[in-house]
Amino acid sequence: MAAAIQVATLHQLSRPTTAALFTLPSAPKDGIFTASTHKLMPSGSAGLGSNRQRFRRLCLRSVTASVAAIDYPMSRYRHDEDGKVLLEVKDLTAVIAESQQRILNGVNLTVHEGEVHAIMGKNGSGKSTFAKVLSGHPDYEVTGGTVAFKGENLLDMEPEERSLAGIFMSFQSPVEIPGVSNADFLNMAYNARQRKLGQPELGPIEFFTYVYSKLDLVNMKTDFLNRNVNEGFSGGERKRNEILQLAVLGAELAILDEIDSGLDVDALQDVAKAVNGLLSPQNSVLIITHYQRLLEYIKPSYIHIMENGRIFDCKLGRVQQLTLRRYLLQKFTMPVGRITSTNGFHVLLK
Amino acid sequence: MAASALANTLCRNPTPFFLCPHLSQVSAPRTKIKIKSKCRPRILTKSNSILATYAVLSDPFVLQIAETLEDSVSSPLPTSSPPSPLKKLRDMSSESLLSHSWPSRKDEPFRFTDTSFIKGSQILPIGSPPHESSLLSILADTQLPSLVIADGYIVNSLSEFPALPDGVFVGSLSNLSSEAAMKRVLEFLSNFEGDLFWSLNGVGAQDLIVVYVPEGCRIESPIYLRYLSIEGSEDASNELPMSNPRVLVLLEKGGEVDIIEEYLSGDGSKCYWTNSVLEAVIGEGATLNHSYVQSQSLAAAHIKWTSVRQESDSTYKLVEVSSGGKLSRHNVHVQQAGPDTVTELSTLHLSISDQTQDLHSKLILDHPRGYSRQLHKCIVAHSQGQAVFDGNFRVSRYAQQTDASQLTRSLLLVPRATVNVKPNLQIVADDVKCSHGAAISDLEDSQLFYFRARGIDLEMARKALIFSFGAEVINSFTYAPLREKAKSHIAELLNPKFAASSL
Repeated sequence: MAAAIQVATLHQLSRPTTAALFTLPSAPKDGIFTASTHKLMPSGSAGLGSNRQRFRRLCLRSVTASVAAIDYPMSRYRHDEDGKVLLEVKDLTAVIAESQQRILNGVNLTVHEGEVHAIMGKNGSGKSTFAKVLSGHPDYEVTGGTVAFKGENLLDMEPEERSLAGIFMSFQSPVEIPGVSNADFLNMAYNARQRKLGQPELGPIEFFTYVYSKLDLVNMKTDFLNRNVNEGFSGGERKRNEILQLAVLGAELAILDEIDSGLDVDALQDVAKAVNGLLSPQNSVLIITHYQRLLEYIKPSYIHIMENGRIFDCKLGRVQQLTLRRYLLQKFTMPVGRITSTNGFHVLLK
Repeated sequence: MAASALANTLCRNPTPFFLCPHLSQVSAPRTKIKIKSKCRPRILTKSNSILATYAVLSDPFVLQIAETLEDSVSSPLPTSSPPSPLKKLRDMSSESLLSHSWPSRKDEPFRFTDTSFIKGSQILPIGSPPHESSLLSILADTQLPSLVIADGYIVNSLSEFPALPDGVFVGSLSNLSSEAAMKRVLEFLSNFEGDLFWSLNGVGAQDLIVVYVPEGCRIESPIYLRYLSIEGSEDASNELPMSNPRVLVLLEKGGEVDIIEEYLSGDGSKCYWTNSVLEAVIGEGATLNHSYVQSQSLAAAHIKWTSVRQESDSTYKLVEVSSGGKLSRHNVHVQQAGPDTVTELSTLHLSISDQTQDLHSKLILDHPRGYSRQLHKCIVAHSQGQAVFDGNFRVSRYAQQTDASQLTRSLLLVPRATVNVKPNLQIVADDVKCSHGAAISDLEDSQLFYFRARGIDLEMARKALIFSFGAEVINSFTYAPLREKAKSHIAELLNPKFAASSL
């Protein structure tokens, strides 16, 4: 019942043009959602079959593609249908290498150049696994599906090749590497990239000058570079360090895995500012987060919801769809606005 | 005929004889005859009845080495008798030698360390200093003022020292003129009972190198001791030239000094045996920073003793990097002689070929509020390489409020690489903070992945991680040029290994 009311709310809030999408022929405009409410109950009787069909049509019409996303009106880099496809994930399934436990159950996602995507979802829904699979983590085994990055098969690449191809994953909990200084580590990674690009490598001193200019971006002091990678770093410092690496190395697709967890407001703003500073019409970002607050600073083009190893998808059926809507309302205190049909579950927030 | 055959067997393989005392009844007469003919005139200076007992209990092989060592140290000129401390050392060592047999794998301290390589060779003590021309090429890279000790002899012409403060003495015992210092040397020389190798060094030491720091004196620049091994045989010749450098460091109350010991070899493939001893007495409130780098030939045997006595409030810091030697063993013995001492031991051992790297350390805490830290790291990068660690802390009943911790970490980079670690604490006191830990592993996958996720290939990542593993110890060297030198040396040694280990 509650779910239905929410949908009705959505409907009332939506613009007339969009509302038309939901208006099915031969149904009284005011009655349709009430009717479908009954239908959605598991105990709904067979006699209401025609309404069920109507609802299905609504689903099919309004949600055609495979991606569930929420559009921000203020998004800086809006989805551009004509933009080049950067990452295309199709029906990706993956298991934990050791236990063969299935984590990803067919993920579909398309990221164009210049887009900011956010993936949200409960603990254990597979968000981080998805990020790790994209970066080539050896703990996971891909069992099916395809991933194309800039038209190339990503799954054939070694982790370092993926990085050099332009994917950067910031770790949720970066490991400590005692004995390797931050500056050396960055220099090593930077030179690996320069080699790949056929450009001259930088010696320690030249590199220091280069990296020094990036320090302000993450609001860190110089001694940060002399410390060992992540050793004794606080939670905030680790996350800043990940962003510093992103700033130094650059990436066409940055996957930020819970970059906001464990950060206070100031650190969160610093990190968000740094990420925004790195965005360009060519660079895309995939943000994985539990919290809306990060999305207040980094405006995504799309928000995807992940559950049970899949990105929410109209094919999941209406019950899940309603769960999604409820989830969105709970997650975002701001009301969910327009639902468009252009690219999947394309929900507009007001 | 039968009798001589039996005598030979006993000679080659004395251990069973020792482990089965009842056999002594049968074999004693024959053994006795053998020893009598070879050793008695030289070593045995006590009354006959005691000697007979010693002779029965002694190991013929040990006595044989002792004899050749005595031959080598007996001066060619009968007029110059050794200075009294050196004579005292030799006498004491000869005596204690009689109670030692050659160690076998059945003796606990040598359970994992196979010394048969030395035993199977013909040991030839080096009786004369090497020719200077052979030293110049090795020392070409030296910019630091140092004391050069070649095959156990001080080479004065190549040694130089910055101006040392008044009262400080560094050099051969024979040049020590200060009466007071001489008295202290006599007092503390060999005031510890080591094992067989300790005693062999005492018998065979050609000279005694003394570092004396008077009360309240702080020496800024490090005392740099460079040990060179020049004389060596070819790998196949089965001859083992042996040198016995011996150093005594005396720090009076409040003194402070950095000592660097570096063991080098002239030729990377020569076979020789360096049997070295350093004794240190650290007075009240004094500080000794001891750096020790061992990069000898990969065919050599290197056995080293470091015995330290710490008075109250004193500090002893040891940083060791050992990478050379076919058989390399470092015995560290630290004895606390007063409360509030600080002891820090950091060691890095590398086994990059079919070599054994062994550290046996013992820290005896008999007084309250001692603070000690031990970090031992080893890298084994060869399928027949081996590392051994036996670290013992003994916290006696009086050593209340001791704060001691011990950690050993080993990296095994190839299949069948071996490490035997035995960290152990013996604690009798009831108000102490003691911990120990051991970790043996290959490189961490999560760390490797972190590198790879940033575009650094596996080989380079392994290299960086292995290097950083060692850097924790190398970075504790107080003297920066030594730190850099050790780093580049380790990098050089490990470089060809990465390709093989990255599988």
